[in-house]
Amino acid sequence: MTYLFVFISVLGLLAALGTVLARNLVHAGLFLVAFFFTVACQFVLLEAEFLAAVQVLVYIGAVAILLMFAIMLTRNVQGDMTTTTSRTWLLPALVGGLGLFFVLMFGINDQVGLKGRMTWASASTRPEIPRAGEGKPVTPRSAAINDMGRMVGREMVTRFVVPFEVAGLLLTAALVGAVVVAYREGDDAESPRRGIQPTRLHGAVTVQATNGHADGSDLPSTASVTS
Amino acid sequence: MATVNIAMVWADALLWAQQPQIELSWNTVIRWALWLVLGFFGAFPGIVAYMVWAERKVAARFQDRIGPNRVGPLGLLQPIADAIKLITKENIVPRTADQWVHLLAPVIILVSAFLVLAVVPFGIGLTPVNLPSGLIYLVAVSSLSPLGIFLAGWSSRNKYSLLGAMRSVAQLVSYEVPQVLATVPVVLWAGSLSLNTIFDKQMEHGWFVFSPPGFLGFLILLIASIAEVNRTPFDLPEAESEIIAGFHTEYSGMRFGLFFLAEYLSVFAISCIMTAIYFGGGTLVPWSDFPAGTLGAIHSAYLPASINATFILVNLVLVAVFFAKVGFFIFLMFWVRATLPRMRVDRLMNYAWKSLVPLSIANVLVAAIWYELVLRPGVVFKVAGWDVRWFVGTLVTAPIVLLLIWLVARCNRLSEKAEVASTTAPAAAR
Repeated sequence: MTYLFVFISVLGLLAALGTVLARNLVHAGLFLVAFFFTVACQFVLLEAEFLAAVQVLVYIGAVAILLMFAIMLTRNVQGDMTTTTSRTWLLPALVGGLGLFFVLMFGINDQVGLKGRMTWASASTRPEIPRAGEGKPVTPRSAAINDMGRMVGREMVTRFVVPFEVAGLLLTAALVGAVVVAYREGDDAESPRRGIQPTRLHGAVTVQATNGHADGSDLPSTASVTS
Repeated sequence: MATVNIAMVWADALLWAQQPQIELSWNTVIRWALWLVLGFFGAFPGIVAYMVWAERKVAARFQDRIGPNRVGPLGLLQPIADAIKLITKENIVPRTADQWVHLLAPVIILVSAFLVLAVVPFGIGLTPVNLPSGLIYLVAVSSLSPLGIFLAGWSSRNKYSLLGAMRSVAQLVSYEVPQVLATVPVVLWAGSLSLNTIFDKQMEHGWFVFSPPGFLGFLILLIASIAEVNRTPFDLPEAESEIIAGFHTEYSGMRFGLFFLAEYLSVFAISCIMTAIYFGGGTLVPWSDFPAGTLGAIHSAYLPASINATFILVNLVLVAVFFAKVGFFIFLMFWVRATLPRMRVDRLMNYAWKSLVPLSIANVLVAAIWYELVLRPGVVFKVAGWDVRWFVGTLVTAPIVLLLIWLVARCNRLSEKAEVASTTAPAAAR
């Protein structure tokens, strides 16, 4: 088990290095996906397969796809023009990265556990989990490990219901905000309608608002034509 | 508070005892190896090969043709000939293509299609891996395929490929939402994410599809699943007549074969999932645990202590019925494909976001009503000694479901009218 952990960790570190060193945006994204996948593997090693599935679902299924979408919608579709590493930022980045590393290292090493329990950082084996049907009581701990989906769901709607709702509200607000920011230009009724023309059936096709002077042509804005 | 929590956990002890716990013993390793070699390398690709043959035959019937009939009797050896052709064909990769990503893309899609099958309960003790959170796992691994499709389109350096990939990612991400929400009623009723527990609950309570919210959920799942596997009428990502096969334009030889394999494998996989979560897996009759019940009370995830002739017979019936149901769904998809034309892209998106998503969210609430009326332990409605829970539940929920469908359709119609009016009015003023 330890060898497996070391193997997966090394793979994960290599993928993380690949993410920052890759010259191509899409390659960097792919390395990031590989890194997320190794994190999911670590969760499986910790017997948290629900978390592993959620990790794959959220990070690979949603975040990585969103990332690829963002790359596709920029002008640099092929993604092979990443910015070169800037020399001036090398030292600050190094200091910041090493600082974070040391903070985490000392934080995890000197972590103080709950009263009467050993610290999780120094634990290498997990306590025995009683199985149902062997006459042992079902503790919340064993239920949380063996039936994680149910326990996470229950905690979400009881103890953590306020943070859960606030997070949902925040995401909805971000979504609506993104729509508002993106829609403002298309909504401009005075923009000349060139390019895609909305037909009667198309409904709410957002019109590409190309202002007369934006693309170099010297046509007057149709605002004067329509008014 | 703490005591309440403990008490709730105790009340769940029965259900929790059914939760699978995987031990990585030697026995398990051998079982997994057998599944891998016999199932995933042997049986499933074979099934896929003959699905292609069946689709060609079915489509030929629909179009008043004969279909493949040259290789072997009834063209039965055609899939083998096709496979040999695909393997021996030259594999051409465009010079400007991103070589590694070009190779990786079909592999990701194929892996995603294969992994879905790993949690399907084919019979009693015949689940490759019985995960406690199987449904979340299913959603997670099937969400890998948009990534593969995007990489295929991007790495080809072909604008048609890229267009196909963009269409595909937009479509898959949109239809994933109703697809996942349509499985929520089942989770609510079974009280578990494990497909084995869902199967057991259906043996106890009848197939989940036979309830108004269950039927609506099944329909949403069916439509969204067809969209998820890019088949007609949702085949915009690979529309031959518009963008020359989209994301796999630049693929040839066996790499193209991998895309082909993955597509049919996904069709097979989603048919298996629909059978397992809404149509009672391998049970023969809706409101009875008939073949499995003769074995006594057992959990479908585990093999019984002693394997005797009865067990083997029961399992054979279960697997046969399971595959008959799967075959029906596959035929349904062939039928849809041979009948319906392709959708327009804006209608496709509107349909997902304005019809399917609201319906599937509202359906969760109706499913809760159904649970309270019919499935909750201890609920009794008796008329002259007969248990009429099911009728009461249907009488209450069926009007709600119909009202919901009417409401969503009406809102969509009204908003479409308003949009048409707003887009045509300025033009008229001009």
